[in-house]
Amino acid sequence: MHLVVQAVILGLLTGGVYALMASGLTLAFGVMRVINVAQGALIILSAYLTYTLFVHAGLDPFVALLVITPGMFVLGMLLQFVFIRPLRSEDREELSLLVTWAIALGIEGVLSVVFKTTYRSVNTGYTNATWDVGGYTITQVRFYGFLLSVAILGLLFLALTRTRIGRAIRAVVQNPVSARLLGIETERVAAVGFGLSAATASAAGAVYAMVYPFNPNSHYDLISLLLTIIVLGGLGSLGGAILAALFMGVAEAVLAATISPTWAKLTFFVALLTLLLIRPQGLFGVKARGAI
Amino acid sequence: MKKQALIVAALFAATASVVAVLATSAGGGTRSASAKPITIGISLSLSGDFSDPGKAARRGYDLWQQVVNAHGGILGRTVKLKIVDDASSPNQAVSNYTTLITRDHVDLVFGPFSTLLTAPSARVAYRYGYAFVEPAGGGPAVFQQKLPNVFFAQPAPVINCGDPFVHFLASIPTSKRPTSGAYPALDDPFASPIAARMQGQLSHKGVKSVFKTIYPPETTDFSPIVAKMASKHPQLVAAGTQSDDAYGLVRAMIQLKLNPKFVFLSNGASSALEFPDKVGRSQTDGIFSCGDWFPQAKNQGNNQFVAAYLKKYHGSALAIDSGSAEAYAVGQIIQAVAKKTHSINNKTVIKTLHKGKWPTVEGNLSWNKYGAPKGSDILVEWIHGKLLPVWPKSLALHKPTYPKPRWH
Repeated sequence: MHLVVQAVILGLLTGGVYALMASGLTLAFGVMRVINVAQGALIILSAYLTYTLFVHAGLDPFVALLVITPGMFVLGMLLQFVFIRPLRSEDREELSLLVTWAIALGIEGVLSVVFKTTYRSVNTGYTNATWDVGGYTITQVRFYGFLLSVAILGLLFLALTRTRIGRAIRAVVQNPVSARLLGIETERVAAVGFGLSAATASAAGAVYAMVYPFNPNSHYDLISLLLTIIVLGGLGSLGGAILAALFMGVAEAVLAATISPTWAKLTFFVALLTLLLIRPQGLFGVKARGAI
Repeated sequence: MKKQALIVAALFAATASVVAVLATSAGGGTRSASAKPITIGISLSLSGDFSDPGKAARRGYDLWQQVVNAHGGILGRTVKLKIVDDASSPNQAVSNYTTLITRDHVDLVFGPFSTLLTAPSARVAYRYGYAFVEPAGGGPAVFQQKLPNVFFAQPAPVINCGDPFVHFLASIPTSKRPTSGAYPALDDPFASPIAARMQGQLSHKGVKSVFKTIYPPETTDFSPIVAKMASKHPQLVAAGTQSDDAYGLVRAMIQLKLNPKFVFLSNGASSALEFPDKVGRSQTDGIFSCGDWFPQAKNQGNNQFVAAYLKKYHGSALAIDSGSAEAYAVGQIIQAVAKKTHSINNKTVIKTLHKGKWPTVEGNLSWNKYGAPKGSDILVEWIHGKLLPVWPKSLALHKPTYPKPRWH
């Protein structure tokens, strides 16, 4: 029983990080119907930026976020302007897959040239620090990562519900044609949405850099994980993605600890396939647009 | 008639003199500007997934070429390397070797990087009767092909990496040996067979196996695995690892405070530069791994190799990738065969290498009939933040230290 509880704690902390990583992906789909398979590469790019600032400027990853996040926001808007906007809206979902995959490969190529394929990681003074609570171990860096996820997702929620641009984003999600008729510049909103999506990658990248070793190829595993989470949660649903991420983190940890790591991965995909057969729109997705 | 005979005799004498002069210049060991260079064809992963180790191998090959040419080449002929990129693809490697042999008519071929590319490339070399001395294809897939032209230029096959550690454990007093062992391993042909082999050997020596698992390559979070392992309280953790998984395992062990008396990681911990960078130098003490080469080794030509490497590429001796030494050893082997037989004929090379021991920077190498080396790897241990060879005693620069200090 101790092992299961410990695994649940570890899984929740990991799930929090997954939620942060998946939020940008689901946002991009919800706002623009873009399946951004470059999200994993953007996270790894942020991890490298975090690593660079940590190694060369001595900046703590959480402080480095103040520099990286605006940069990633601008990069996201640029990517949307250059690569996504020219896509015809009727083919956008399909074509976005190819275009964002090309972006991912481009980022991977640049990172491979600049940083080589050697694994990197950010070892802060608290990387291996833990708390013992009632005989259970809580790793500090994951706990901080979890708190950061909660904070970023909370801010994202507030931005979407309480700000003018947030309301515009939701309007575009719910009905792009009506939104345009009401005077909302949908392309501008889409650019901001993609920028926000990339900005969440900066926080996810900072946490990833502290928790896992990474190299330019790490985005492949990451994107398959994130796509699974947002499909499970319901494409475009932020709340669904968060719950699916937590579920995945816990399920993976408990199965790895009690059965085997191989089965942990396999069982999850079996569950995903089963869910899609029973409820194709995912746990919290809706059949029509407007889920965010 | 007499005059004609004199003319014939004179012509014969003149021809014989010219032939004698030519023979002297070709076989006498002195360089001749007119001698055709020996061309050696190599396919290497200079781009793609294996580009980093591929480039390390290239540095070793290039360095050997430079050193050997500075000393008069082979059989008085300069050595020319024809290196082509295979983009880390086995198909491209096969295509490259076919082209090098059938179109470019290279004199010899050297091996590529990794078992994945070596296995199919060795078959091409075999088909055309070429010797295939290779630096990095030490997995079972290479030797299971049963090719007589293959020679792996390292002391031992990859899956025997844990053997020196097992021998070392057998040498310490029974009271200090571990009584229980855990064997996590990456699902990889170069990792899980090592852990399985060690588990079998140690079980025979009375170490009770309390935990075993194989994790998929995409595993990034090792906490649940280590949590389960910790619940079994093993005194020994012998893991079949590659690189990032080794770092992840150690970090999870530190975080979950799993403190076994012995920790052995087959790969990942053997990198003098990367490992301390990933897990923290102060946490490395007492961790064992295996290696095939180290800068301080007193093997044939190693000092010369290290000095030449640092002169050409700069940096520190610790930063030299063992892949460069392995490639350099390939060249040394061919050089030694040529010196012994005065030939670089592939048939002669194959026949000659099946007998005797061949001194290289990787040690004195010998092989079974399918190219698997008969020697043993070196047990290395992190001691006071440095990676040192500790076993066998003849190669050790420090005594093994145990039990492993607790994480801090």
